[in-house]
Amino acid sequence: MGGSELSRPVVKSGLWAAVITGLLAVLIVLGSRNLAHLDAALIGYLFASLFATFGLTYRYAMWLQRPPTAMYWRRGWHVFFRSGHLWRNTAEWFRRISRGFALNLFIWKRGRSRWAAHWLIMWGCILASAITFPLVFGWIHFETLPDNLEWYRAYVFGLPTFAFPVDSILGFITFHGLVWAAFLVIGGVMIAMRRRMREHGAAAVQEFGEDILPLLLLFAISVTGLMLTASYTWMKGYAFDFLAILHAITVIFTLLYLPFGKFFHIFQRPAQLGVAFYKDVGAAGAQAACRRCGEPFASRMQVEDLITVERQLGYQYELPNSAIEHYQWICPRCRRSMLAVAQGTLWESARAEESRASALTNAMDPAGFE
Amino acid sequence: MATLPVEKLQIIQEFGPHGAFMSGIRLDPGVEPDRIVKTHCCFCGQQCGIQLKVKDEQVIGFEPWLEFPFNRGMLCPKGVKRYLQGSHPDRLLNAVERDGSVLSGFKPIEYEAAIRRVAEAIKRIQAEHGADSFAILTGASLTTEKAYLIGKFARTALRTANIDYNGRLCMVSAAAGNKKAFGIDRAANPWSDIPKSEVVWISGANVGECAPITTDYVWQARENGAKIIVVDPRITPIARTCDLFLPVKPGRDAALFNGILHLMIEHDWIDHAFIERHTVGFDAVAASVKEWTPQKTADVTGIAVKAIQRAAEWWGTAKSSFLMHARGIEHHAHGVQNVLGAINIVLASGRIGREGGGYATITGQGNGQGGREHGQKCDQLPGARDISNPEHRAFICKVWGIEEADLPKAGVDAYEIIRKIDRGEIRGLISICFNPQVSLPDNNFVSGALDKLEFYAAIDFFLSETAQHADVVLPGSLHEEDEGTVTQLEGRVIKINKAVDCPGEARQDWKIIQDIARALGREHGLTFASPGEIFDELRIASKGGVADYSGITYEKIEKQFGVFWPCPSDDHPGTPRLFEPGSWNPVAKGSGPFYFPDGKARFNIAEYRPPVEDTDAEYPLMLTTGRVVSHFLSGSQTRRIGPLVEQYPEPRIELHPRLAEQHGIADNDWVTAETRRGDTTLRAMVVTTIRPDTIFIPYHWPGRKSANQLTNSAQDPISKIPEYKACAVRIRKAQGPPDWEAELEPQQ
Amino acid sequence: MPVPEHLEFFIDPSRCIGCESCVQACSECDTHRGHSMIHLEYVERSRTTQTTPVICMHCDSPTCAEVCPADAIKRTEDGVVQSARKPRCIACSNCVLACPFGVPKMKSDLELMMKCDMCYDRSSVGKKPMCASVCPSQALFFGTREEIEQLRKRSAAVNRFRFGNQTVTTKVNMMVPRDTRPEYVDVAAAMEEDSLGGDIMLNVLST
Repeated sequence: MGGSELSRPVVKSGLWAAVITGLLAVLIVLGSRNLAHLDAALIGYLFASLFATFGLTYRYAMWLQRPPTAMYWRRGWHVFFRSGHLWRNTAEWFRRISRGFALNLFIWKRGRSRWAAHWLIMWGCILASAITFPLVFGWIHFETLPDNLEWYRAYVFGLPTFAFPVDSILGFITFHGLVWAAFLVIGGVMIAMRRRMREHGAAAVQEFGEDILPLLLLFAISVTGLMLTASYTWMKGYAFDFLAILHAITVIFTLLYLPFGKFFHIFQRPAQLGVAFYKDVGAAGAQAACRRCGEPFASRMQVEDLITVERQLGYQYELPNSAIEHYQWICPRCRRSMLAVAQGTLWESARAEESRASALTNAMDPAGFE
Repeated sequence: MATLPVEKLQIIQEFGPHGAFMSGIRLDPGVEPDRIVKTHCCFCGQQCGIQLKVKDEQVIGFEPWLEFPFNRGMLCPKGVKRYLQGSHPDRLLNAVERDGSVLSGFKPIEYEAAIRRVAEAIKRIQAEHGADSFAILTGASLTTEKAYLIGKFARTALRTANIDYNGRLCMVSAAAGNKKAFGIDRAANPWSDIPKSEVVWISGANVGECAPITTDYVWQARENGAKIIVVDPRITPIARTCDLFLPVKPGRDAALFNGILHLMIEHDWIDHAFIERHTVGFDAVAASVKEWTPQKTADVTGIAVKAIQRAAEWWGTAKSSFLMHARGIEHHAHGVQNVLGAINIVLASGRIGREGGGYATITGQGNGQGGREHGQKCDQLPGARDISNPEHRAFICKVWGIEEADLPKAGVDAYEIIRKIDRGEIRGLISICFNPQVSLPDNNFVSGALDKLEFYAAIDFFLSETAQHADVVLPGSLHEEDEGTVTQLEGRVIKINKAVDCPGEARQDWKIIQDIARALGREHGLTFASPGEIFDELRIASKGGVADYSGITYEKIEKQFGVFWPCPSDDHPGTPRLFEPGSWNPVAKGSGPFYFPDGKARFNIAEYRPPVEDTDAEYPLMLTTGRVVSHFLSGSQTRRIGPLVEQYPEPRIELHPRLAEQHGIADNDWVTAETRRGDTTLRAMVVTTIRPDTIFIPYHWPGRKSANQLTNSAQDPISKIPEYKACAVRIRKAQGPPDWEAELEPQQ
Repeated sequence: MPVPEHLEFFIDPSRCIGCESCVQACSECDTHRGHSMIHLEYVERSRTTQTTPVICMHCDSPTCAEVCPADAIKRTEDGVVQSARKPRCIACSNCVLACPFGVPKMKSDLELMMKCDMCYDRSSVGKKPMCASVCPSQALFFGTREEIEQLRKRSAAVNRFRFGNQTVTTKVNMMVPRDTRPEYVDVAAAMEEDSLGGDIMLNVLST
């Protein structure tokens, strides 16, 4: 890859990114009724979001074009939509969504505090995103009822929906949604930071950009957001403008960081669902038997796919003049053993040369056993 | 009465063995230990240095101790996971007494009340049946301080002749052979001499599994160009890549050594000058091996003639060498003869008492060396002194402040104690650090004998299989809960350091022993306040003896990473290598390097006799027993450490595919092995790495899984070691799994 | 912090005695506490006591990382191939199947691949990895090249391995005979070889 000209994947990814970003822009224009409902104070956020969309799509497209990813992407959709399995797959999909995504059960097994941190941060972010992005894009706005100033009506894509009294519990909950989200995120960040600060294992492998920065960003967003609320609720808007700018800086920076760092996993992770289906199909189908020990060790489909992927990547694990054909047909256990056998053989031949007596190293008198 | 108070399963349910695993604080990678304690492993004779991590008075893990010169951080799996024995759910936290009316068979009792019960029983039984009717069985995993104290306790407070220890099942053949040949019982060379040898000869030692750290020394020798010769009925891990493997038939080692010496003499591969100057008795031995032609040796040992010839040539022509052996040649009714045979080929080569001229037995137990020097053997007093020698008696009586007439004479060995119990001659017993129910041969007999005791008190940290028969169990201390010294297999005295306090009512063993003495009203000389005080008296008691510790202090040990005895004065650095030319010892007094008045080593005729119970038509195979790497001795500790249980959960019967085929046995089938004493049904492990006329069963398990139900209690006439390593056996394919399979966890 | 450049890993399976100290010690390491990452393989127990420890060889161009669809496996600049990044790993097992040495482990219940990371918490501060610290046979050795050359006079270190047409270069070295020092260890050629040190030979001698 590389060179002076742009490579095919880059061009392809760039096009995808442009198309998706354009699509979002169109939706914003439509949803905000020709930008009529856009909040001028949120323009910075809007452009950052568009940039993030471009970056994320570009990276996602690049990622999908890696041979192993492309293979899984194709296979995943293929097995999901297999005729006759769609209903069952859909049910299974919902089950997995709830266990893996909603409850994070797989993280629970890795550690309780790890789970608590992730679950709190995840739901905090989801809540915050669900509130802020539609507001930024002008897809939702609130107006007081013409005949009753104590009532608000919510408009979605410019269409009127439900109305509620400003002082009601529903109103309180709705207008303070970001506060609740901030509490969730701060709690999660605290737990995660504690783990990162005291665990030796975590300390050894973590990187600032990858592991610490995202926590700091989330913390900064949450805290500055809460300060805004505090400022207008109890302090008569003290330093509100300054805080608004500070908050905007943290959010915009995070949006720009999205495609590059740890947060990319939010978009990558759902691919796991496809893997699950791929594995199910593999387990039900033909198995690959190890061509050394004869034991089945993986699905034949996955082994064949890997051979294809390895070739695309330029690996040459082919074994010419051998019935084994490709090293991928050897099971992991045999691979481990063969390394030792190969080394042992080198030593044995070295010793045999030395003593020319290997036949005698291990001799029992035949009379001993009949 | 000492039959089990309730069904065995009920006892097991309460007291284990249960497996302990890493959990909670031990799994948390963020915990900083409060302190790190430099100490040693609690298991085998190598006594590897290790650092224990302590948090909130719990041992939570380990850190390799790279500076300790013997193992330089290396550890076997037992050492790695030893920390899991602390804070174990099975730990005895208070004294218990048997009570058939409670579900578990034992109920808690206040510590002082338990001590009083023990003292009263001792007084009553001794009043009725004489002082020797109360015996004490001890162990070689105790620190030297404890061993010394218990020896003194037995002689001065219990006033019994009948004290013996589980080293009787371990080291005694080597000890007796060494004393006969060298006048001293200690490894002649430090392990650092192994890599300096041209030939390393390993007889009857499964080094890779039973002394794993020694492996690196052997491989280092080979890396320096040495040839490795291994003699064993099985291709053990160390044997797999050795240069010459001699698959000896169990119990024929003396024959092999005689055959080797025969060839050495025939080819004049002997050191005449050394034999002349430093030994006596060569001519008689030379005459005795005349009959051991290669063909005869091959016929007896089951080793091919050519292999014997090659071994003799390599050994005979080497410039430097190291011969080591272990239980494989020692655990025989003629174990001393086997050891003497090994020593003969060393002496004939003249390669001893110098760098790269080495000989050693690989001591099995943690304090197998120190524990056999200071008076817990039935015939011995501190400083490796002889209880029958009037001078030695007088010396010790002076140190102890007692009348010579009050010092008991020599008692009987551990197995004979069991037989005396069976015959009603011994009525009461205290045991500590000894689990004969698992570890003695023919243990169904042992079980029956224990049931005849009028009173039995055990000191233990877990309720061992033997302690299940006790009337009172006193909660003793784990290795990491006390300090003291041990002497590892090189003869290096090292220091065990305390990491944590005893939990609950448990207390340090030496305190328990002194408490019993106090309750007996015989606390004279048994009022030490610390192990350090005991050690100071031991130094005095050993002064001038063969095992002279008088120049050793705790500080010197820490400073020098251990001190090799003999160390006769404060400014003496210790003696890593024995028998060096010009060296002085208290027996020879300068006349020569060996520990006899003339300073010369002794050749002793190594008489070959087949095993007491050889094969016949009825029992056509040989049974041999041994250890696996993840367990230690009777398994009282290792069968409670989860990861070690998982590594080797249950005993299996190893047999050759040829043999398996004859009986229609496939790998993993249930197989019954049967001898004249008992049988056991275990799963088969069909492997080509064992002689086809021999089966192997590891011995760490109790009850119906115990290999020692089958073994022969025949003993060596000199050392009294039992014949664990060879008896006649027959096998058959079992119809199905044994009854216990559904009831017991693997380690139980 | 990176693993210091002068410290290297040298393995010699021919020394292995199968004691599993490495396996037991591996789970004591803080980057994977409670999980043992090393493999201890019995080559063919019915015929030999040959065993071998298998640690990650830390390939220069790791196949496991290349075939990872989630881009979850990273090689740090010091050449250590790390465990899968937890947020990314999708537990597809591609790495487990593709690693030519058979190293990565799939922890199905955690939906996560974990592998030997040379005890990064220890090696990155200049300490020996757990397995190499405790290994009683020193089949696993961690130290300087000078040390190993001085200690293992008959051995030489090789870090190239051949699988059919593919040569793989690794950070970890394997000890081979110094006299006949091959350019690479031909692993796939061992297909036809027997395990070593097997049978007690019966009836082999004519005397």
